[in-house]
Formats: sequence, C-alpha cells, structure tokens
Amino acid sequence: MTTIDAVSRGLMLDSLREYAKRKLPFDYIRELDRENEFPAEILREMYDPGVLGVHLLLIPREHGGLGGGTVDIYRVCETLARIDLGIATSVFATFLGTDPLRVGGTEAQQRKWMRKIAEEKLLVAYGATEADAGSDLVNLRTRAEQVVKNGKLAGYKITGNKQWISNGGVADLYTILALAPGGPSWFLVERDATGFSANKHEDKHGIRLSNTAGLSLDDVYVPADQLIGEVEGQGLQQAQAVFGYTRLMVAAFGMGAGCEALETAVRYSQQRIQGGGPLSQKQGYTHKLIVPHAVALEASRAYIHAIALRLDGEEHGLQTEGAIGKYYATEAGNNAAEDAIQALGGYGYTRDFPVEKIKRDVKIACIYEGTNEIMEMTIYRGRWQEHLKSRGQYYIGMAAELDALHAQNANIGADSAALGLRALARILEDCRAQRLTRHQHVTFKLGELIAAAEVAANFCKTAAAKEYNEGVRMDRACCEAMSRVCARETALAVASQGIKLVLGAGTGSAAELSQAVSLVEIEDRQRGVTEDKDLIAAKLNETFRPR
Amino acid sequence: MNIVVCIKQVPDTTQVKVDPQTGTLIRAGVPSILNPYDHFALETALALKEKTGAEVTVISMGPPQAKTVLRLALALGADRGILLSDRAFAGSDTWATSYAIARAIKKIGKADLILCGMMAIDGDTAQTGPGIAQQLHLPQITFCEHVAVSGRKLTAKKLMDGGHEIVEAQLPALCTLVLPADYKPAFPSFPEIAAAQEKDLELWTAADVGADENLLGLKGSPTRVDRVYAPPQRARGTVHQGTAAELVEKLVCILKEENFIKC
Repeated sequence: MTTIDAVSRGLMLDSLREYAKRKLPFDYIRELDRENEFPAEILREMYDPGVLGVHLLLIPREHGGLGGGTVDIYRVCETLARIDLGIATSVFATFLGTDPLRVGGTEAQQRKWMRKIAEEKLLVAYGATEADAGSDLVNLRTRAEQVVKNGKLAGYKITGNKQWISNGGVADLYTILALAPGGPSWFLVERDATGFSANKHEDKHGIRLSNTAGLSLDDVYVPADQLIGEVEGQGLQQAQAVFGYTRLMVAAFGMGAGCEALETAVRYSQQRIQGGGPLSQKQGYTHKLIVPHAVALEASRAYIHAIALRLDGEEHGLQTEGAIGKYYATEAGNNAAEDAIQALGGYGYTRDFPVEKIKRDVKIACIYEGTNEIMEMTIYRGRWQEHLKSRGQYYIGMAAELDALHAQNANIGADSAALGLRALARILEDCRAQRLTRHQHVTFKLGELIAAAEVAANFCKTAAAKEYNEGVRMDRACCEAMSRVCARETALAVASQGIKLVLGAGTGSAAELSQAVSLVEIEDRQRGVTEDKDLIAAKLNETFRPR
Repeated sequence: MNIVVCIKQVPDTTQVKVDPQTGTLIRAGVPSILNPYDHFALETALALKEKTGAEVTVISMGPPQAKTVLRLALALGADRGILLSDRAFAGSDTWATSYAIARAIKKIGKADLILCGMMAIDGDTAQTGPGIAQQLHLPQITFCEHVAVSGRKLTAKKLMDGGHEIVEAQLPALCTLVLPADYKPAFPSFPEIAAAQEKDLELWTAADVGADENLLGLKGSPTRVDRVYAPPQRARGTVHQGTAAELVEKLVCILKEENFIKC
C-alpha cells in the first residue's frame, strides 16, 4: 500500500526527468555507452536524498524510506527506462537485491539493513543466477556450510560463482542465494568480505551503462544473523514470492523504452518530407511502423497499471499477471524499437540518433527476470490450471463480463474482445481433449495467445472507464480507437493462430474449428480498423510534435 | 517576516503551438509547469527565508489541478500553500485576478513582502503583480533581479534598459522578478516531495476571501480578447557578400530596382 499520492508521484517523475535533462544529456549517455562505462557518480547522486533519493522509494517508511507502492515504482521504472535502460537496471538491481530481505527478513534484519541501505545510499546486487542456474534455480551450485563454534551455529562459509549479476562489480551489499544444509537460502554479503570478489564488467550488446559482472565466493564467512529470515531453506519461496511484482517492473522497462523509441519516430516522421508530404501523413508508413506499436504499448501501459493497482490493493502473488505484463510489454517495446530504426531510415541505423541504442538496450527486457519463453510457459501453466479447475469456463466467464461492458459502451471493441476470449476457451478445450499440451510448442504458443487476449480485454475495461487514470495518456477518442483495434486484431490472431495450433499438432476439420471459434464473425469485426488507425496516427502526430 | 509568493501553473509554452485554423492553443500532450518567473520569485523568497527565518506562503489562483504547483512550492521549502479555486474566478483577466489575489492576501493578514514573477509565459502581460500592489496600495518595484531585506528596509536590484537601478523601499512592498541568465529552476528531491504531502494546503473560494462576485470572472474583467493568432512569419532577408565598394554598388542597384531612390 502506497502513501504517496498522484500529485507527489507526478512531481517525483518531474524531478527525475529534470535531473536527467541536466546531468544525462544524450551525448553523455552515448559516450558512456560507447565506453561501456558505469556512471557511478550519477547513481550516487540519484541516491542522495539532497538531490533525488530515488532508492528511498523502495524502502518502507518505518525503515527510513518513503514506502513507495507498485504504481509509484513502475512509474519510476518507466521514466528511468526512457532516460537509459542501463541506469534503470542499476536502480532496479538495488530494488531486487533488497527483495529477499523485504519478503523474508526478520524484523531485526529489516530494521538494521533497510536503514543502512537508506542512510548509506548502498548500491545492492541480487546474486541468484549461475552458469547452470537461471530460471532453473534448483540447479544451484553455490554452497553455504555451517560454521559451529562452542556447539552453536556461528555463521556460514559460502563458496561458488555467480553470473550476470547487475551491479555485480559496483555494489556495496549483495544478497546471495546459496545451498545451505537445509536448502537454498539467501545471505547478506558485504563487498569487503574476505574471499569475495567481482569479475570483469561484461561487454554487452546493450544496457552498457549498467555494470554486469560475475561474482566469486571463496569460503566467504557471514555471521548467522546474515542468513535472511534466520531459517534455512526458504530461498526459493522468497525468490518466487515477488515475481508478480518484479516482472511488472521489467514490463514497465519494456513499455517505457518502447514509448521513447516510438515517440522519436513520430516526431521524426513529421519533419521528413518525402514525395511532397511528411512521412507522418503516409499510411504505408504509419499503419506499419507506428500505429501497431502505439496500440500495443498503450495496451501494455493499461495492463501494467491495472495489475499495479491490484498489488497495491494488497492482492498477493499475481505471478501469472506479472508474467503476462512482462511478456506482452517487453515484446511490444522490443518490436516498437526495431521498427523505430526502420522508421528513421538511415538515421535510425546510426549512433547519432537514440533509437539504435534503445533497440540494443530494450532487448534485455525480453531476456532478464525470466526470458520471454519462460514467461510463455509460466502464463500457460497458470491459466491452464484455471481452465481445468473451472471446467473450461474461465475465459467464458471473462467473455461474459466483456459482453456486459459492450452493452454499456459499444465504442471500445469489448464485443470483439469477448469473441477472442471465447475462441481462446475453445482452443484450450481442444488442446485438452486432444492432449495437445504434450507438445511443448503448443503450451508456449498458448501462453502467447493467453497474454494477448487478457491484455486486450483489460484494455477495453480501461478505455471504458468513466474517468481515465494515469495509465492512459491519450484522449478518449484515441484510447477508444486503440482499444477497438487491439480487441479486433487480437481476436483474429487468437482464432486463426489457435486453429493453426490445433490442426498443426492434432486432428480435426478446419471448417468445424473455424465455426467453433466464430472465425467469420471475428473477421467481420475487422471493419473500420483502417479508419481507426487513421485516427490514431493523426492523434499521435498531434500529441508528439517535433521539438 | 511573512513573505507571500504568487505563483501560476502554465502550459510549457516552449512546446505549445497555435492552431492556424482556430487560433487556439494546441494543448494536447503539453505538460503544465510552474511559471519559470514565479519559480525564481519562490527561490528568492526561500533564500530570504534562509537568511531571516521568514515564513513563506505561496498562493495560486486556478482550477483544482493547479494544486500541483503549490505542492511543488511546498516541496521546495514554502511553509503554507493556498489555492484560490472557484467557478466565480473563471474568465478573470489580469485586473480581476489581481483583485481576487489581493483579497486573499488581505485575508492571510500580515504580509511584509509580496513576490511575483515579472510575467507568466502563457500570457506575457506582466500586469498581475503591479495590479496586486495597486489593489493593496503597496509600493511596488518591478523587473527585480535581486531582492535583499534588512530590518524593514527592502533593497532591490532593478533591471533597466542598458543597466541597473538600485531601489530601496520600506516594507510592506511588492516586487516582481525577472529571470537571471541561464536560470535553471531548482527541483525537489523525493523525500522533500513526500514531506510536502503533509504540509498545509488550503482551498479558498471567492466567499472565503470576501470577494465581490461582480468584480470577478468575465463580469469583473474589462479586457476582451478579440482573437488570438500566430503572426505570419517574416520572409527571410537576403545576404550579399563582397567588398565594401561592391556592396554599396549592389545596395544602390537594389534601392533603385525597388523604387526607393531615383537617379
């Protein structure tokens, strides 16, 4: 639960942007990117309560922080991602690093360490990944052996290697996952501990302002009170408990970086005159390179905001929702950045313009915090259970809600979203009846279709709201048009790709399946999509004018 | 000492364009900011607070969303914020606005120094500050670059064409402030913003300040805006290069061709 109101949140984002405008001009960021350099003094300043104190948002009030909620933190993540995703990653690593403590730390541990992080502006790193243990953390090799003195547990000696650790070479404090006799457990390790060292800063494709390094631990001694929770074997549950939350933050990274790339392209397209008019007035350009991404990014924003509100409303877990947000928004951001390069033509391909860097940076959001293929699997698993438990009624129920919404507001495409959800229910049921989920490809593809259908359904709800929250940036006419396009195109994708999936792996007749998923009816709903895209293109040009 | 700073929320006019068809401002996607002149007036007040321990009250007139700039002012160090917000104020020109703000300052009570930005970047009128001084029958020093207070004596460095004027006045008085060169407005840190949420922010209506409704809004505003338009862009001049003698010859030719001279 946050204590920060929307006005304060807006002012915090203003301060962050103003700081970046002064201290992080593009030329400087570009130089750091070229030199593969971590801007340590910038991070220190951002953590300085006299300048910004960004990290305080991550720390509860009772421990000297500001107790920011999910909405506050995703908005900061989005804003940071628009500035530089490497810096965003570094700030986020502190957040991630404190997570095991927040979730599993004893009262005394939280009091001591959270306050220390707040007051001493500590950079924190989250040390879970190893060469053979990523999303499959059960393969963990790093060991923590008990050290007993006078018959009493005094501490642990940790030995092992960690890989791809954000802030690895620059953090002051590390949370390290290691296999204790009682099972995987988190330990707090300080930088100056004997036997602890960081390896070289990796030479990465993108997020080059973020320090990423491996860690070596050779008999590193930590006192027993630095075992988080002071009970062994809780590590994996503690790591799992916050995925809904942390993945939503990565979703905000993808969405923020994608929006920055897209807006750069929209502004550019109004200045580049080709064949007697600006590119921004040409459908062949806007309806391919701009509008689809704008729709996907705004749908992502609406979804992230809705899930953030639920998490702030004390709903716990939401792991499947976190995975849907992460998967959909990071794909949207990555695709938007890719086409932003195309939209800027030759300029897009040079390092003098920011989109090339954004594209390199945003790719990481599809990889870290669980790759998007792991997300497809997680989404499938979560919703497959719901499908089975409800005897196939999970999406039928959701479709009924959307039909009811359509009865109140016929402008948002809720009828199409409902058709998409029913098609999804039918495809899932066919997969169950024919046991098609024995094919891994089918399960992952189902994950993709589920994410698209749920994001589109949520977008309709957002677009229908009487008053728009800060998850909506465009005006009502544009938001409704985007919601219609999203709902119609998603329904068609779910139905047609679902048919392909079932027929590809199983048996049945295309004609029967087409009828069962109402393919013709969904195709009928595509009327007017081009006109909607015209409206969206015009609104984007009006909103993001050349600077 | 009590300082009152008058501030206004404005569209960031560096990003606003005028719709050539309708003559209205295109506001879509344009963020609202604290008027930079007011921002500097506030920073001037906060510097005086630092030296003298003065209490700083910020006041703004506008729709409910204008409370954002008051919150910003509180985060930067102001002690108290007042938003004048009422449908009765809608459509007020600079005179009616000056009247409403003057009423509010009277209600605040003892104001030793009133600071305003020289103008707001959305209207560029530079009338509201002087209007408030007139309504309150206070001495005013406009176009100040710097303001210092010693006891009850105010010393202001006033910008003039080609120079400065040092002007003294007895408090209470009103000053309007111009922007220093390369001014970069201060921004608050996250903890300062969070702390401002707890500070006093009051909402006052026309009735609260005892304003006569006939002197407010369109009724109380003698100004009538005929139309707003972007002036047509002037054609670019031509540049000729050469020696002085060649250029004189060229110039004379052009003046002849254009029928400015005959010979």
